Parts: sequence; C-alpha cells; structure tokens
Amino acid sequence: MGKRSLALCRQAPYGNALAREGLEAVLAASALEQAPDLLFSGDGVFQLLPGQEPDGIGQKNLQRNLQALPIFDIERAYVCEHSLSQRGLSLDDLATGGPALHPVSDIGKLISSYDTVLSF
Amino acid sequence: MYPATSDTRNQAAMNFTLAVYAAPHASQSAATALRFAQALLRQGHQLYRVFFYCDGVHNGSSLATPPQDETDLLPAWQSLQAEHGLDLVVCIAAAQRRGVLSEAEAKRLERPAANLAPGFELAGLGQLADAVAHSDRLVTFGS
Repeated sequence: MGKRSLALCRQAPYGNALAREGLEAVLAASALEQAPDLLFSGDGVFQLLPGQEPDGIGQKNLQRNLQALPIFDIERAYVCEHSLSQRGLSLDDLATGGPALHPVSDIGKLISSYDTVLSF
Repeated sequence: MYPATSDTRNQAAMNFTLAVYAAPHASQSAATALRFAQALLRQGHQLYRVFFYCDGVHNGSSLATPPQDETDLLPAWQSLQAEHGLDLVVCIAAAQRRGVLSEAEAKRLERPAANLAPGFELAGLGQLADAVAHSDRLVTFGS
C-alpha cells in the first residue's frame, strides 16, 4: 500500500456531528489497517481537553473514541501549536487518555508530507 | 456559464474520489461536488467513488422535492451514475442517524418507509478507506 494519509480534525467536539463522525471514519480505516495519522487544528484542539461532561447536553463523550485509538496502533497525534495559543491553551492543558500529543509549529509542512488528507 | 472545456487531455488522467459532507439545498457544497464530478469526467479523468457522509447522506434521499425553478441535484447524480457506472455510496451509519434507508434497512429496522434513491447504495465506512487507498486524489466538499 504505502500511501500515507492524514486525518485533519478541525471541529469542536459537540457543536457539529463532523467531530464524532470524523473520528468514526478514522477508527473504521484503522480497523482495516489503513490507520491515518491525526492532526488537531483550529477548534479541533478542544476535542483534547480533559474533563468533558457532555451528559448535560445529551451527548456521548467523544474522548472514548480518542481512547480507543491506541487499540488500533494510533499511538500519537499532532496538535497545531498556533491553534492552541490562539485559544489560550497549552499542551499541558490537554489530556486524552489516548494517543500521545505532539505539538507542530508548521502544519502546512506536515500536511504536505502526506499523500491524502481526510478533512473533518 | 463557463465555456465548454471538453476533452482537455493534456494532463495525465487521474482517479478521483469525492467525499460529500453537505446536504443538498443547505449550502453550495453539494452542487459544487456534482459540478466537479461532471467536469472531471468530461476532462477524461476517472471517478473511483463518491462517498456521501455526514449530512451529505441526504443527497441519496428520493423524497426531496425542491421547487420547480430550483436545481434538483438528484436526477443529475442519477444520470451521471447511469452514464458512467459511478459508485455512489451513502454511509450506512450516517444514513441511519438521519433517516435515509434502503428497503432492506427499513424492513430490518422496522421503519415505515424507505427512501434511498435508485443509483445509490448503502455501505460502511470501509468504503471511504478503500477509496483513499485506490484514488490519486480525494476531494472533500462541505467540511
């Protein structure tokens, strides 16, 4: 196979179904041994905040999907540093219980190193 | 309208997959996906698959009835499918959430009606992963 793909997660966790459905697509691809790498940017970094309590708005916790990723050998995920600082966040504020998070300063360079980008 | 640019085969033909996340008549994205599909086929490229995901599953509903003076995307997708033998795949999980069901799914889930349009088929997310693996380009509409 040899093609490298990147899943770009840009949505806050509960405002838009694309956050959940994006991670579901990642898990499905991973189950077929075509696991993409992950990059959280824009409001997508909010998916990585600990202490989410979405029960109050009748939603399932999206972090369960993140926590399932290591089962499919997705051990790390990239995070856009610029998106974090724009939102007053740092890497220390984040915790997923899933993949280890790696900050990236030049996401354009990262994205261009992939054959395919799944945009969520 | 743009001038016709049929058969500009000066570039190598490529294999495309389109991922459509947008419902018809909600934003321009679904119509743009259709026009992109028409354009790439006209230029001699291949369309490996169109994968309808998220709100894009509504493109596969046979029940939408836009006013007569508005463009109806469904017959355009269907004629393109018939002409080129396209693989128009609607994600089954996203479609169940939003009420786009085939006859078999409506029966299995004990719903009163089915609405998946002819020319479309329901399938799992594996079809998106498969398309990524087999296409030169993945183009996403409506994210």
